[in-house]
Amino acid sequence: MSLNINRRDFIKAAAAASGAAVLTIPTAAHAATKAKVVVVGGGFGGATAAKYLRMMDPGIEVTLIERNKTYTSCPLSNEVISGHREIKTLERGYDGLKKHGVKVVFDEVTGIDTGKKMVKTKGGKSFGYDSLILSPGIDFAFGAVEGYSEAAAEQLPHAYKAGPQTLLLKKQLEAMPDGGKFIIAVPPGPFRCPPGPYERAAQVASYLKHHGKAKSKVLILDANDSFSKKGLFEQAWKALYGYGADGMIEWVPGAQDGKVVRVDVASKTCFTGFGEHKGDVVNIIPPHHAGKVAKDLGLATFKDKWCEVSPDSMESKGQKDIYVIGDSCVGGDLPTNNAFPKSAHMAMTQAKVAVGAIIAKVNGLPLPTPYYVNTCYSVVAPDYGFSVVHIYKVENGTWVYVKEASGVSPVTMPDKSPVPAIYRKLEAEYANGWLDNVLADAFA
Amino acid sequence: MSKHFLALVLAVGAATSVQAGDIDGLARTCNNCHGVNGVSAGPSMPSIGGLSEAYLKNIMMEWKSGARASATMTRLIKGYSDDQIADLAKYFGSKTWAPVVQKTSADVLKKGKDVTERCETCHGDTGSKPDDELTPKLNGQWAKYLELELMKYRDDGFKMVHKKMSKNARKMDEADVATSAAFFGAQSK
Repeated sequence: MSLNINRRDFIKAAAAASGAAVLTIPTAAHAATKAKVVVVGGGFGGATAAKYLRMMDPGIEVTLIERNKTYTSCPLSNEVISGHREIKTLERGYDGLKKHGVKVVFDEVTGIDTGKKMVKTKGGKSFGYDSLILSPGIDFAFGAVEGYSEAAAEQLPHAYKAGPQTLLLKKQLEAMPDGGKFIIAVPPGPFRCPPGPYERAAQVASYLKHHGKAKSKVLILDANDSFSKKGLFEQAWKALYGYGADGMIEWVPGAQDGKVVRVDVASKTCFTGFGEHKGDVVNIIPPHHAGKVAKDLGLATFKDKWCEVSPDSMESKGQKDIYVIGDSCVGGDLPTNNAFPKSAHMAMTQAKVAVGAIIAKVNGLPLPTPYYVNTCYSVVAPDYGFSVVHIYKVENGTWVYVKEASGVSPVTMPDKSPVPAIYRKLEAEYANGWLDNVLADAFA
Repeated sequence: MSKHFLALVLAVGAATSVQAGDIDGLARTCNNCHGVNGVSAGPSMPSIGGLSEAYLKNIMMEWKSGARASATMTRLIKGYSDDQIADLAKYFGSKTWAPVVQKTSADVLKKGKDVTERCETCHGDTGSKPDDELTPKLNGQWAKYLELELMKYRDDGFKMVHKKMSKNARKMDEADVATSAAFFGAQSK
């Protein structure tokens, strides 16, 4: 079944459903403007915030400022690299948001005057706001790996913002000879999409295995000593592609000199503290921090990288009436080492918390209870997926990680027997359905 | 009477979704995977808006107790109290069922009509008239999802609860699984 047909079918049904809902949701026709909200950044977080503000209170004027006319989902973009997915299935425009009455402006933010509550753009426009939502994603700290730069990324792609970089890495993989080495350099955490590099290793291995390049190697040079869904990845790597020094996938942790500190672009060589690794394809994922817009405003107060926010509302701890959501913020149960993962799903639930808080403020209502949920699927082969889920509640103004509800798919069954294949198959399928749904929830 | 009615209308008219209470906020987290108003946009994920409250509550409680397996929901659902689960069931149960009608060929429809005869007693001939509150609607449910559900019922390694459903799912020929799913997915009412 083609995706186009699915989407058309869905839109028909959704239209029917929203028709039924008109009785309970006030329409925009008679609503006077109660407040102005500007949203900066039209990824999963920003798009969700803009849509839900309009959907939940049409009296609020919403302007979304975004650089690009098309958004490309990072989630599941590793499947594009392996050829298991077309990149257009990850792309969405902003017409859906316009239908909700969001004013979409394709421009770049150049400055924010918090005193005058005004956002200025490269295009020379100014937008006043009562509340501002910042969802700028991440920006790379290019200097952190010596020799790596924005220009170098054209030779050694990061492919950690989906789009042309994803396609470049795919092209390099396809050109790699059998027996070649594909290096993935992982930065120190936290980074966006915690399982991303390891899912990528599997997708690259899947390509190599099925395209007559089984003598090749995927080498993960990691600045960290552990990683998200480690037990599940190692089990899958071993079963599907071979894992370890003799397998197709090899992982070198930070403690064993895995951290890449310098690259030589011309010779495609990665230098660690004591060693060097020459690759045929080198994928450098540089360390990153809160998006420039938020950082320039001085909001990245956590380790000078991430923006601290209130658990009740996602409002910035540093600036009143500014809400920071998505990969730029830091939150979660930090004392128990359960920070929010930087994921699309998390960004969307944060967006909904911020929207609830802003609507309450505009309408003079008490803050609603915030709910934080994350679901993140990793797909290591077309029939093999698994997930991690997180639930956080807010108690006495702090996030509490709900341990019993959270966690990864089982590595073994409770009686230690192997997990039946159907579980992995189901989660690979759910990953596809999840993607369609989050894209619709944010952009349709 | 009319004054009360007017007050009610005004209250409803002025309401934002936030006012309706916590349950809306909680339900909005379900939208990520199950769609606004519980109308899914992803073929492997079920629409849940307009399924019966009893069915929704029952399945969530079965996941929570561990009686029924699920690849993902058994974990998530443990984050919610029994009251929250009841409220979520009520919330999505009160929505209008919005079939996502997926086109299929005349051949599949014809064959599907035959091979879904065993489904009819409990779900109705097009899946829109379940004979009790604990049985889900199937008309315009995503075919892919229905196929995966049948796969679960047919798999020894996957713990499902409903014995009659397991028995019937296992009686089906392998080739009829996708046909049955496509048949119900194509039904508007």
